Order: sequence, then structure tokens, then C-alpha cells
Amino acid sequence: MAEQPDTGQSNTGQSNTGQSNTGQSNTEQQTTEQPPHTGHGFGRVLVAVYGLLALAATGRSILQITEYFDRAPVPYLLSALAAVIYIVATIGLARGDRTSVRLATIALTVELVGVLVVGAISYAARSAFPDKTVWSHFGQGYGYVPLVLPLVGLWWIHRTNRASEAASREPAAAAESES
Amino acid sequence: MLQPLTVVVLVATGLLAILAAHHLLRRRLVDDPIVLTGAAIEVALLVQLVVGLANASAIADGAERATFIAYLFTVLVVIPVTVVIAIKEKTQWAMAVVLGGAVVVAILVARLQQVWSLHG
Repeated sequence: MAEQPDTGQSNTGQSNTGQSNTGQSNTEQQTTEQPPHTGHGFGRVLVAVYGLLALAATGRSILQITEYFDRAPVPYLLSALAAVIYIVATIGLARGDRTSVRLATIALTVELVGVLVVGAISYAARSAFPDKTVWSHFGQGYGYVPLVLPLVGLWWIHRTNRASEAASREPAAAAESES
Repeated sequence: MLQPLTVVVLVATGLLAILAAHHLLRRRLVDDPIVLTGAAIEVALLVQLVVGLANASAIADGAERATFIAYLFTVLVVIPVTVVIAIKEKTQWAMAVVLGGAVVVAILVARLQQVWSLHG
């Protein structure tokens, strides 16, 4: 495998050809350039993390709803909602076609709003949240990953979209239009 | 539960994390040591599953027992998925995924031990 250019790093994004980090552009002969894709390169990390959160949230909410739903119905339903959103985000990012990315964008936006609203409510009205959800206390129980992740995900989708627009518009001029 | 087994898994995930970090810095992709270490972890986790299921009845609280069993199964998924992703991805992010997966397995195994020691 040839050495890869450092295109995966966000801070070097301006210097390369506007491809996402799946692009391998250091050799002219290379014809296997892949179009930007939300599920490739750094996107694999996002897909992995979202997949894990989907698994964790699904498991937790199944347990909560089947074993002790009466204890705190609202948080447990929120856990289930979060689980569905994580599943949609995982599949959307991994598939990476137009519709999937749009779905993932919606899922991530809902997630961001959810973690902010639920996080705020869980501090303001503790009695409403006798048990934890992934979103309560801004995702504290999960190392604030639920708060940071939608921001990272939306940035990544934005970056991939811009890169593919630039690539489809005028591949030669992509270097100028990026950044 | 089986404390030695937990120690083995934690050491193996530590090794996998170091390997992945090394490959990440050197811009290398998946190779045999990564896959073999992952396979070794997976075998240890399967042993843990059998031992855990055999002893799960010792946990009196139903919800805690369900959590324990769910963790036993969930932890099995992580290594295969991360290795498959790493094989498909041809940039340095492949190793970032493996590194993350190793950390997650270590956390889950530590959590299992915690659930067990609180109720076993």
C-alpha cells in the first residue's frame, strides 16, 4: 500500500484537491479516485461510533422498557427514540447516497436538539428524570459523546457535501473552490 | 467472575490498542498481528460468555442479570465489526477504528466485572 497523503486531517483540508480523505491525489496516474463519501475515511470512525451508540441505546431501552418501564416512562421512551435516531444516523452515514445523507442530517439535527433540550431539562427538573437516558445531563454518562458527536457528524456531512459539489462542478478548479 | 480471564482480555485489548496506535502513526493498514490479536480477544470473550452465562443466576436482581447478559453478548460484536471496517478502509482511519474498538472492549469488560462484583 502506498503512503497516503495526510488528507484525513481536517487541518490539511484546504491544501488538497477538495476531495474528502478517500481521495488519493498525490500521483497523477492514479485513476481510482473515489468520490467523497460520508462513510469512507474519517466517516468510518463516525459510522463505528454511531453503530456502537445505536447498539448501546437499543440494548438499554429494550431493557428499560421490558424490565421496569413504570419506573420512568418518559426517559425510557426518550432512550428508545435516541436508539432509533442512532440507527438512522449509522445507516445514513454508512450508505452515503443523497437520500441517506439527507436522512442522516435530519437524524443528527434531531439528536443535537434532543441532547440540548433533554440535557437542560434534566438539570432544571431533576424529578422528571429519575433514571438516566443517553441524553440526560448532556450525555454525561457517556463521556459527553452524545453532545459532541452530532456536531462532528454535521461538520463531516457539510465537508463531504462541499467536497463532492466542488468535485462535480469542475474537478480542475476544485482546489480553488475548497476553503 | 473469572478475574484472570478479565485480566487476559484487558492485557490483550491493551496490546491491540498499542498495535493499532503504532500502525496509525506509521500509516500502515491491517496486517496479521492486528487480526490475530483481535481473534485472540474474541476467543477469550467467547470463554467469558460461556462462564458468564453459566454463573449469571448468581445475580439475584433480574434487571442487573439482564444487563450482565446483554453486556456479555454486546462485547462480542465490537472486534469483528471494527476489523471488517478496518479491512475495507484504505486510509489511516482504519487503525483509528481498531484503536477505538479495543478501548470500547476494555471498557465493556471492566463494566462486566463491575456489575458482577456489585452483585455476585
